[in-house]
Parts: sequence; structure tokens; C-alpha cells
Amino acid sequence: MFQSVDDVVARLAGERYICSRDVATVVYLACAMRKPILVEGPAGVGKTELGKVIAGALKLDLIRLQCYEGLDEAKALYEWEYAKQLLYTQVLKDKIGEVLEGAKGLRQAVERIAQEDDVFFSDRFLLPRPLLRALLAPEPIVLLIDEIDKSDTEFEAFLLEVLSDFQVSVPELGTLKAKHVPLVVLTSNNSREISDALKRRCLHLYIDFPDVGREMEIIRLKVPGADEKLAGEVVELLHRLRKLDLKKRPSISESLDWVKALTLLNVKNLDDGLVTETLSTVMKYEADVRKAQEELKEYLAVRKAKTAHSAPASDKDLLN
Amino acid sequence: MLDRILEFSDLLRRNGLRVSVPENMDAASALELVGVGERGVFRSALRAALVKQASDAKTFDELFDLFFLGLGGKAREMEEELMRQLGMTPAEFQEMLEAMEKFLENLDGEISALTRALLTGDLGEVERLLRQAAEAERGENPGLRVLFFAQGIGDRIGMEGIRAEIENLKALLGRGGAPPELIEKMAQYAEQRMRNLMQLVRELARRESDQKDPARSDRERQDYLSQKSFVYYTEDDIRKMNEVVVRLARRFKNRLSLRRKRGRRGRLDVSATFRKNLQYGGVPFRIKLDRRKKEKPEVVVLCDISDSVLNASRFMLQFVYSVQDLYSKVRSFVFVSDIGEVTKLFEDHEIHQAVEKALRGDVIDVYSHSNFGRAFELFYRHHWTAITPKTTVLVIGDGRNNYNRANDWVLREIRRKAKQLVWLNPESRMTWGYGDSEMPRYAQHCNTVEECRNIHQLYRLIDRIAA
Repeated sequence: MFQSVDDVVARLAGERYICSRDVATVVYLACAMRKPILVEGPAGVGKTELGKVIAGALKLDLIRLQCYEGLDEAKALYEWEYAKQLLYTQVLKDKIGEVLEGAKGLRQAVERIAQEDDVFFSDRFLLPRPLLRALLAPEPIVLLIDEIDKSDTEFEAFLLEVLSDFQVSVPELGTLKAKHVPLVVLTSNNSREISDALKRRCLHLYIDFPDVGREMEIIRLKVPGADEKLAGEVVELLHRLRKLDLKKRPSISESLDWVKALTLLNVKNLDDGLVTETLSTVMKYEADVRKAQEELKEYLAVRKAKTAHSAPASDKDLLN
Repeated sequence: MLDRILEFSDLLRRNGLRVSVPENMDAASALELVGVGERGVFRSALRAALVKQASDAKTFDELFDLFFLGLGGKAREMEEELMRQLGMTPAEFQEMLEAMEKFLENLDGEISALTRALLTGDLGEVERLLRQAAEAERGENPGLRVLFFAQGIGDRIGMEGIRAEIENLKALLGRGGAPPELIEKMAQYAEQRMRNLMQLVRELARRESDQKDPARSDRERQDYLSQKSFVYYTEDDIRKMNEVVVRLARRFKNRLSLRRKRGRRGRLDVSATFRKNLQYGGVPFRIKLDRRKKEKPEVVVLCDISDSVLNASRFMLQFVYSVQDLYSKVRSFVFVSDIGEVTKLFEDHEIHQAVEKALRGDVIDVYSHSNFGRAFELFYRHHWTAITPKTTVLVIGDGRNNYNRANDWVLREIRRKAKQLVWLNPESRMTWGYGDSEMPRYAQHCNTVEECRNIHQLYRLIDRIAA
């Protein structure tokens, strides 16, 4: 487990994940208080990644449950393996015959079978799905429930029991209680409002796009060969783009892709023609690309004016 | 600390955030873990435990500053400003403060505690004294406006006395035998401090009043609006109301989808179970239930958009479309005397724009006189296929027909074919049937006729229709 907020920052950095103290505080609290974290924020700010790196930093196994519309208990929790049960009854026909031998009447036969029925409803025929696996894991684990907003409200209601008591009831087996309380990370893109009841049980964390400094740090970490000055310009431009009214705002992964692409193409400066051509790595819609091109032009014009004014100062600005 | 947290979450609640008891407990245990040493961490911890909605984060931040930071930030700002004005480095400034302190000591006991704290730069002490005064003032004269409140605090700390003392000190400075530039600076400093004090008092008064409830007026206004008749809406009301409609729609959606899902699991479907299990030799391994089909209603909206009911129609349309994923299909028509379909507008544009476009007369002439009879007849002739046995038809209008032919037979036909026919009238029930109102005639064909004069009623109605 984490020792302190600083410890979280350091160990996540060890997993190549740069986070603000804000994020680190919540992660630390969640570990210490054994509460689930509900992570919200725009797409591509590293919500899912957070779950993964926490597991990595704590050297725990990660069990991931991807939510989608129509996900139900059978797919999330457990299922009986009917086919296997059927197969066993066929194979064991003789044995069953033995059991039934000498039974007088139907009633007695049924009773004899009934004595054996817990054989068929035992762990052997239980097919655990992610949630149950997370609860029954012999070691502490991290459970990542991704895109909870995509699931139905009824599934969400069902999660309440799991997340507050860390136990589930299987009618045939009774209540199964978690051996270790898993560290749960839920992510949501806010395509639907999560119920208050679920929110109450979680610590809430909102991750927004990082500020310029942090995004630079991330780029430096993930694209080691990137030109410092170029990266600075890209980040500054992206921050401007995020303020535009776009269909899809460029996320961190996209800024990484772009810097990578530009680095590979050996571009040193944003007024390079290649920049416009590679804009499609950042923008995923035609309309967005057009808007971005205009913004790029404007940005370059402003920068030019600035450099003409005082060259060294502007350089320094960009680096900060 | 627990007291402070409870007080704070009470403040959050008063500003419309929902904070439950377990969340308070979480906040308390979170603070036990991270302590209060580092402001950023303290704030993150509280926010993670108490605020569960990203949109509330801003309110939280504002209130947090108000509640926990006090005047510290403002006072520090002033300190820096002061240094800049006097053109001193922090070291020089410190030196001067020490000189000032020595000077005041030699003066022995002739000045008030507040003046001393103020001049020696003991801002914590200044704040404490100011707060004391503010509390006393609040206790005696609650509900003062900011300006008078500031005045009250000023009187209590004896602002005039302090001013006199400082003037006095300035005169005395010369006797200390300090170098003349330093004396000059110290005089300037004292002068400035006096001004700072007044600023701080005003700031404190403002904050105290803010903290009482920054957004209350807003909130009360929204509640009041939801009871106010559509007819009396002003431009500003409309803007405010848009937010309320969105919120209502969201709440409504959540409730409804829950309600639907509860009733979903069906009974054992015997024949389907047998058929399915033939492959297992008739042994019922797989149970088939007759899943009740999710029946999403289809909705057809007929909306009168003549001037008299414009606002009601606006919110009605907005609401219906905000919750449209609850219906399998929504088609909407607007009419005054002509009738036109606006469904496409809502497909192409964002709800807001679509509503405005629909009401603006892009589709039909909005300046003619209402003629329900004609509009109904046109609907029957051109759009009759919109009605199916699954359709819920919503008519929104005041039924004021300008003494034209009523053509209520169209409604009779609709009733016969559609699942239900609902008429929402933004006029008070008392006036139905008077003047050119054809309501009684129209009403006899409807399953439901309701008065719908404000958002509150609208919400209740929609709730019933969709169920």
C-alpha cells in the first residue's frame, strides 16, 4: 500500500504515469480508506490508465471489467456451466444408477438424488466472471470497472451490494465474502448520470486535461527523442485547440501521437508544411481539421509577431 | 475539526450540493489520513469525499476559499502590494517592520491592540480582531447589507480612533531620531496600512455576506420560476429556465428508466422452454421467460406556437426532446393556422437551436391568427400516417380558435386510432370555455386534459404520460 501522497506520486511516476497531487491524494485516500474511486473526465486523459498503473505500482493483479449496454450479472459475476453439468450427468449415468438402485418409488429416488445435488452446484461448475474473481482472489487485487456509464442502471444498482459490502449472494451456494477488499477503480465518461447511491459509496475524482507544464512532462517521458521547443509549441497549440468548439477535443494520447509523428518526420518547427498534413493524427473529424488549421495559422501569426518583438524572451516562454 | 467539516458541508448544502452523512464521515476520516498541513491535499481530500459531480466542483472551490482561507490570501496580497509601492525588498521591509516595532515599544501602552498588530504586520491578529467585531455585529444586527455591515464592523473596532492614533504616531515618528528617509517611509507605510485596514473590513463584510449564501437568490428564483406561469416569463427567466428544464429532464430520465427495468423480468414461458430444451431431451436446462417487451411509447406532439402560448410550447418541446431516448419515436408538428412538421429540425440541430428555429416561423407563418380547426384538418389530410396504435398524441395549446370551425372530429379520429390523446392547456382551467375557447368540445375527445401553466405542472404531467 502507499505510505503517503508523495509516495503515490513517486510510485506512479515509476510506472511512467505523471499525476497531479490532486489525483495522488485521492488515490492515497482510496487505498487507505478502502473505498472505490470513481474517476470522471473527458476522453483520453488517462482514466483507465490510472487503474492500470495503480495495480502496477502496488504490484497487484488487475482484473478488468469492461461495461457495455446489456451487461448483466451472468457476464459480470458468475454463471453455472450447464454444459459441463450435463456432460457429467451423462458420464456418471452408471454411478447415478447405483445411487438409485433399490429405491422404492419415485419419491425415494428423488430424495436420494437430492442428497447429492450439492455436487452439481458446487465451485466446480461455477464459472466466475470478473467481479466474482475479484472477490475470491487469494491475493489483494485491483478491480477496474471501465466505463460504468455504458452499463444499464440496473447493473449499477447491483454493483452497490458488491461495492459496499464486498460480498455477493449466489442462491445455491450462499453468500460469498471477499477474502481481501479489492481496490476498485470505476471510470465514467459521463454519457449518463451515475446514480447518487453509487456516487456516495465512492471517492470522486475528476481528471481534466493537464496544464501546459504537466503535459510537457508527460511528453518528455513518453516521447524521449522529442524536440523540446517543438513539443512546447505543440502543447501550447493543443491547449488553444481544446478551447475551440470541436466534435472531439484532442486528448493527451493524441498530443503524444502528434509529437511522435512530428519527431519521426524530423519536423523542427510548426510552420512546416508537414504539420498541416499531420493534423489528422490529432483531429478525427473533417470539420475539426478545418477549424484546427485556422487556429494553427492564427497561432503562427501571433507567434511570429511575438518573436519579431523579442526573440529570446518568447523562447523562454515556450519552454515554461 | 469535525465541527468545521460539518459546518462546511452545511454551507455546501445551502448552496445546492447534496452531501450525505456517510460522506461527511468519509471527509473526516480522509482528513485524519492526510492531515491539514498542505492546503492542496486538504482541498483534494475534501472534494473527493464531498463532491460527486464535476459540475459542482466550481462551487466547492469557491466556498472552500471563502470558508477555509479567510482573509489570509487578501492580506498577503496587500503585503506584497505595499512592498512594491514603497519600493522595498522583502529584507528591507522586514527591517522597517522591526524599526516600527521598536518604536511602538518605546511608546509604551498608549495604542490599541489592533493598531499595534496592524503596524507590526501581525495580520493573523488583525484578522482575529476583525472577526470578533464582525461576529458581535452580526449578533446584534443580523441581516445588514454589506455596506452597513462594513460600517458596523468599522464602528466596533473604533476605526476613527485608529485613524487618530496613526496620525498621532506619524507626528511622533520624528522624535525617535531615525534617519529621515526611514521616517518618511514609515509614515507612508502607516498611511497605507490604514487604507489596508479599511479594505480588509470591506472584504470581510463582503465575504461574510457571501458565505451566508452566495447563490441563494439564484436558487430561490429557480424555485419561484417553476411555479410562475409561462405567460409572465421575461427573456431572462427563459434563460434561467432552460437550465432547470435540463435538470428536470435528467432527473426524470433516471427515475423512469429505473421504473421500467424493475418490471422487466417476466414469467416462465412454458412452450418456449420446452422448445428450447428439446436438445437436452426435454429436460429443462434452459429456462425461457417471456421477457416483457420494453414498450417505449411513440409520441406525436402538436404544438400551438401562437404568441399567447409561446413559452409553454417552448419548454414543452424542449422537455420532450431532452428525454427523447425514452421514446421509440418523437414526431413534432407546430401550428398556428397552418401546420408543419419540425421533427427534422431536431434531428439536425441541437435542442436549443431547434426549438428556436421551430418557433421562429421558419416552418410556418407565425403571424396569422390561431385556427385550431384548420390546423387539425390539415394534419388529418397530410400527416395522418404519423398516428399508429402505439402513439401517444400530445396537443399543446389554449384551444382559442378565434370563432373558427372547431373540427373536433379530427380529435375523435385520433382518439380512435392512437393509444392515448393528451391535451395540455397553458391557460387556467377557470377560463376554459369562455370567449373563443373551444376547450370543452375538444376535451370530450381526449383521454386526459390538463392545465399546464408552469414547469412544476409540466414535470408532473410528463411523468404520468411516460409511465
